[in-house]
Amino acid sequence: MTRRTIIVKRDVQAKGKANAAAERERLGRRGTLVINILSSPGAGKTTLLEATARHFAGRRTMAVLVGDLETDRDAQRLAPLVPTVQLTTGGACHLELPLVQQGLTALGDPAVDFLFIENVGNLVCPASHDLAEHLRVVLVSTTEGDDKPGKYPKMFRTSQAMVITKTDLLPYLPFSVDAVTEDARQIQPQLDVLSLSALHESGVSDWCEYLEQQYQRQLAAYHEPAAK
Amino acid sequence: MHERSLVKNLLHQVQQIAAAEGNGAVEEICVQAGTLSGIEPFLFQTAFEDMASPILGAPCRLILEVVPLTALCNDCDHQFEVIDFKFRCPVCQADSVHVVEGDEVKLMSITVNSEEPLDGVTS
Repeated sequence: MTRRTIIVKRDVQAKGKANAAAERERLGRRGTLVINILSSPGAGKTTLLEATARHFAGRRTMAVLVGDLETDRDAQRLAPLVPTVQLTTGGACHLELPLVQQGLTALGDPAVDFLFIENVGNLVCPASHDLAEHLRVVLVSTTEGDDKPGKYPKMFRTSQAMVITKTDLLPYLPFSVDAVTEDARQIQPQLDVLSLSALHESGVSDWCEYLEQQYQRQLAAYHEPAAK
Repeated sequence: MHERSLVKNLLHQVQQIAAAEGNGAVEEICVQAGTLSGIEPFLFQTAFEDMASPILGAPCRLILEVVPLTALCNDCDHQFEVIDFKFRCPVCQADSVHVVEGDEVKLMSITVNSEEPLDGVTS
């Protein structure tokens, strides 16, 4: 009998992260900005994407991969507006890259300007899974309360932007935009913060302008000559 | 509750490493999980106990060490433990810091017990 200890020291998700980095590079290089949209269930991800699709109609091309545990209800809402594929996880609490890649293939891997991934509604598990996105956006709705960032630090630490949704309800709720912003920026000081009401189409053009800036920035980054 | 998918991923990696090392029985696995790794240690341990035997073919011990979240200040190079997920340098107050440890689940080592001495195969 020989007992041996093999030293490994390897990130368990290293392979998944490397695959995500390669896919991000491939999509970025051909001019697609991938946006991973995350939030609790019911924060307004699909409603925001409907408003975004209406705004960009005729100006920018986009497609959506929408993740849920069951049903294609979200895909049914989005499909009349933009190419959409429903990803059903069959009970899993988050999307993983292979499922996203399957969805992209099902769409015909279109060279759209924006590829949105609407993740499963959950502020916990999806934070740990890189889906090859260039931009991670977390939505917080005013009805959820302004104390959420501190409770779900990984989600906010790994996001580049926070969008406060359902601002039309602010007059009726004890929700402070300043408080939620301060709480989130303790965790992610560089976080970009936007607020809007997708239902009333208020703030949606600022959101789309933000996406346009991110798109232009990425385009420039991929086409810039290597730094000297 | 994505611990099960991470544990499954971990066990498949362990299986591959053990196979490459001569297919001994895996007796112990050491894992480090940071406080920002996104796993809950108790759930991870429970998932491991459920899944280790079916995948590895025999029970196996998991040593799970929780490591603190450590960041490095991009301005003054001060290294510090991040308390309460406040990502601000305690020395110069800069808010541009990056995580150096504690946001991953790491397979540190595996202990394999082989029936035959590994270096006694060739003759």
